[in-house]
Amino acid sequence: MSTLQADKTFERSGVSGKLKVVLHDVSGTLLRTLGTIERRGYDYRDVHCTQRVDGDFDLLVQIEDLGGPRNLDTLCKQLERLYNVVSAEKVGRRKHAERA
Amino acid sequence: MSTHPTPTDENKHPALSGAKLLLDSLKVQGVDVIFGYPGGAIMPVYDALVGSGIKHILSRHEQGSAIAAIGYARATGRVGTCLATSGPGATNLVTGIADAYLDSVPLVAITGQVPSDLMGTDAFQEVDIFGITLPIVKHSYIVRDPADIPGLIEEAYYIASEGRPGPVLIDFPKDVANAITTERHRWRPYPKVKPEMGTAKNLAAAEELIRSAKKPLFYIGGGIAQGDGVHELRALVERTQIPVVSTLKGLGALPSDHPNFLGMLGMHGLKAANYAVQEADVLIVAGARFDDRATGKLDTFAPHAKIIHMDIDVAEINKLRKANIGIDGSLKKNLAALNPGKLDIQDWQDLCLGRRDQYEWDYDTPVKNIKSEGVYAPKLLHDLTRHAPENAIITCDVGQHQMWVAQHCYFDDPKDHITSGGLGTMGFGIPAGLGAQLACPDRTVITVTGDGSIMMNIQELATLNRYKIPLKIVLLDNGALGMVRQWQEVFFEENYSEVHLYDNPDFAVLARAFQIDAFTVTKGSEVTAGIEKLLAHKGPILMHVKIDQAENVWPLVPPGRSNADMMER
Ligand SMILES: Cc1ncc(C[n+]2csc(CCOP(=O)(O)OP(=O)(O)O)c2C)c(N)n1
Ligand SMILES: [Mg+2]
Repeated sequence: MSTLQADKTFERSGVSGKLKVVLHDVSGTLLRTLGTIERRGYDYRDVHCTQRVDGDFDLLVQIEDLGGPRNLDTLCKQLERLYNVVSAEKVGRRKHAERA
Repeated sequence: MSTHPTPTDENKHPALSGAKLLLDSLKVQGVDVIFGYPGGAIMPVYDALVGSGIKHILSRHEQGSAIAAIGYARATGRVGTCLATSGPGATNLVTGIADAYLDSVPLVAITGQVPSDLMGTDAFQEVDIFGITLPIVKHSYIVRDPADIPGLIEEAYYIASEGRPGPVLIDFPKDVANAITTERHRWRPYPKVKPEMGTAKNLAAAEELIRSAKKPLFYIGGGIAQGDGVHELRALVERTQIPVVSTLKGLGALPSDHPNFLGMLGMHGLKAANYAVQEADVLIVAGARFDDRATGKLDTFAPHAKIIHMDIDVAEINKLRKANIGIDGSLKKNLAALNPGKLDIQDWQDLCLGRRDQYEWDYDTPVKNIKSEGVYAPKLLHDLTRHAPENAIITCDVGQHQMWVAQHCYFDDPKDHITSGGLGTMGFGIPAGLGAQLACPDRTVITVTGDGSIMMNIQELATLNRYKIPLKIVLLDNGALGMVRQWQEVFFEENYSEVHLYDNPDFAVLARAFQIDAFTVTKGSEVTAGIEKLLAHKGPILMHVKIDQAENVWPLVPPGRSNADMMER
């Protein structure tokens, strides 16, 4: 464990942020969206999903990345690539994550 | 790509089972062949298959079905279709689905599933294949109502082939397959088409940047073939005379001997190609994605270059390397539109092309460790494609032989080179060749495989025999998992660990047991006659070639190092 932490590549870059993802439906799409965020190298800090009046769903997630060459714009585009994801965008100001 | 489909009208039809409706819907999509393997949960579909008019190819392992469908798709550009039962049948498809995901291949995989009311109860042969494949599909479905089938299938084939292609999974519970319906549901509207940023403004900026360049270079990838942009790329290279390097999957977009082509870049790239990238001042990336096998250590890749990145998938732009100009949308259209005018790059061209000639492969110099009478695989492969008909298709497996194919075979169309790039799937070669040969019965299809890889889908020799598919197999047998052996030699101080296949079967005898003709070549002097025999043969045939284990793939960029640090033999 200590050797892992000493390795620079395992240092978190501290990119954190809040994403708002609009889903056309939740069955399947919610799992796909959350799975994509995790697989692309981010950890969750908070997850919220609510249905809107138009029937779509607003998913708000607070995330922190796991290091490496990642950026939230790319993540948003990777989410928008999913079918039934209507849009994905960063919201609010960028905060620096506390280091573990 | 395909036009945006309209939702299916709600209407009635004669009473049909879900299974029959599935096959009818596949026919509407133009599906003429399915690669599959039956079992309990998919039996209603196999029942309906009889007399359906759709050809079914029975593989001998579901992985073979999936990869054969990939071979079919990559040779034709059409969507490949594979079919399996639930549980182990479905999990056996997973490697093929992952392969299609990483190489952006249009594939529809249909799996049987236990009846809906048993789903989630750990029923016999139940696995959550929807969940298992979530990270490796472009999209997936569980069919809940037979009346959804026509719309769902239409959408699935649209999604598999639209934009950047990829695999779509359809999980089909047995009760839905058996249910009788007279209805078809109106399918929900298709997702919006995403806006393109390949606007006139970005194209103009790219042209400006190219005009200002002293050392412009194209770095092209598999997207050229998939985006049907070969013709447009060639015309653009003709207009600008800019030199070109290619990824593994971009090979053939320019003919191997094209005057502007410097070869493959990356870990086993040619020196002229890697040096050009290191020196370029503007890199025009078209249908490629900065894969680590191509870039080496990313922050040393093309260190002096401004980047113009053109890709159909906007999520690739800025993913690994920030682009100065990003152009998404149709590569075909954007390559056709890009017109920087006449460039003054003669010195750069001379330098690049001079290097290409300087480092040209010498097939005649005796190679270290090769006994003088032995077979030199690079020369064999060089000769093979030059003897084969011009439109021959080469599929290959994974290992040293795969890199030799990339380095030494001649390609003049990227669809002629079917290789597992992103996933590097050992066992890919024979089923992919089988699928390609079925799709293109009038063409010569050759599979180049290794003694490790061939054993991973050896059972597909039975499929070749069953359908008399005249695939030509060249087995380069070095008695080892050669690529791993090479790494252990070079990076692990010759600490050889589980790489020697001293106990291989007699491959020619094995092939004959499957009723496939076979012969063995052990001497360099026998190679030409062997190639002629292979190419002249009418049915499936295997040429078993013994080669020296000590022969390695060069150049080699050590992992984690810059492409400038190529090691040589
Ligand atoms: C399914 C799978 N398992 C393991 C690997 C790792 N691997 C890459 S190349 C290779 C050796 C391949 O041996 P062979 O087919 O004989 O080819 P050679 O390198 O000897 O030409 C192995 C084990 C892989 N790519 N795919
Ligand atoms: Mg081998």
